[in-house]
Amino acid sequence: MSAIKEITSLEGWAQHVSSLLPSTLLIVSFHAPWAAPCAQMANVLSTLANEYPVTEPFSTSWVSVNAEELSEISETYNVTAVPFLVLVRNGQVLESVSGSSAVKVRNAIESHAKPTAHSNPTVGEKAAAVTNGGAPVVGNENSEALPGDAEKQREELFKRLADLVKAAPVMLFMKGTPSEPKCGFSRQLVAILRENAVKYGFFNILADDEVRQGLKEFADWPTFPQLWVDGELVGGLDIVKEELASDSGFFSRYSTKVNGGASAAAS
Amino acid sequence: MAETAITESSLKDALTERLKATYVEVADMSGGCGQSFTSLIVSAEFAGKNSLKRHRLVNSALKDEIAQIHAWSAKCQTPDEYEKEMATTGGNDGPPLDGTDEGKVDGVDQ
Repeated sequence: MSAIKEITSLEGWAQHVSSLLPSTLLIVSFHAPWAAPCAQMANVLSTLANEYPVTEPFSTSWVSVNAEELSEISETYNVTAVPFLVLVRNGQVLESVSGSSAVKVRNAIESHAKPTAHSNPTVGEKAAAVTNGGAPVVGNENSEALPGDAEKQREELFKRLADLVKAAPVMLFMKGTPSEPKCGFSRQLVAILRENAVKYGFFNILADDEVRQGLKEFADWPTFPQLWVDGELVGGLDIVKEELASDSGFFSRYSTKVNGGASAAAS
Repeated sequence: MAETAITESSLKDALTERLKATYVEVADMSGGCGQSFTSLIVSAEFAGKNSLKRHRLVNSALKDEIAQIHAWSAKCQTPDEYEKEMATTGGNDGPPLDGTDEGKVDGVDQ
């Protein structure tokens, strides 16, 4: 997993750039310590960086630059606001992303980076597709789309959601995480899944406002938690309880109840 | 900022009118903050619909209200189901859930 290197001087910058191979994708994050969205963007980037293994030769290189202190570098790349992301390969700027939309940043990086071991076009979230949920994605919605982009963005978001709800046979969109639910209903639903030893993926909607609002529309369902099975919405806590009441084997296909009832659901 | 304050009775009225409910109970679970409600809705309109469809019906009937409150819980029954449950358990007012972070409430006894 790649780490993000903080560039502290012009020399350091020059040195780093010259060490890159022509094929390496250089991901430059410009930040300012006083700008709150930058802290969140740092989180988004480090989560993303974790998904890219350190390869030999380096396929991606992640650096962070203080836009004010190293203003020459900022000027070179026309950094007008922070956070600001620039993707460079072989000295050429491929794309820049201004603002703190986690979705835009992820899309830009994924579209230019070489595929990784488990490349998933729109499901970059590590939260899903594993037996145990995984690290939730820390994201921030702050779209800077121009009016004309709105429709396209919505389409892309829905595409992303369509993949996300299928990321695991049983997907729970909740507030918080299974180990730290942030709402009573989410907590209860996690408990139910655990009791039934259900294998599921989860997504923390508190960490991604775009998914949070988008999924309400996508699902035509106004609240969370939401449980999806095989890509279809089952409903919230009430409905799950009702389904179980009328059919105690509701989850048996997704359960790992083997001798001893070892639970593979999230801890 | 809400056009109308959301209260137990305003929700009850809305449900009765929009879903032709024959019996409705709404309880404010948020300690009077008007932010978190649980309900029992009995309506013939639920007949023939599975759980998800019933809840969707309620969701669209209360679309504006739900968008404004923090937590919403509902139990949707047809008049027959309601009668049956009353006969066996003496009935209850919606799933007695706790919408806040503390308190673990056991689910409905079915």
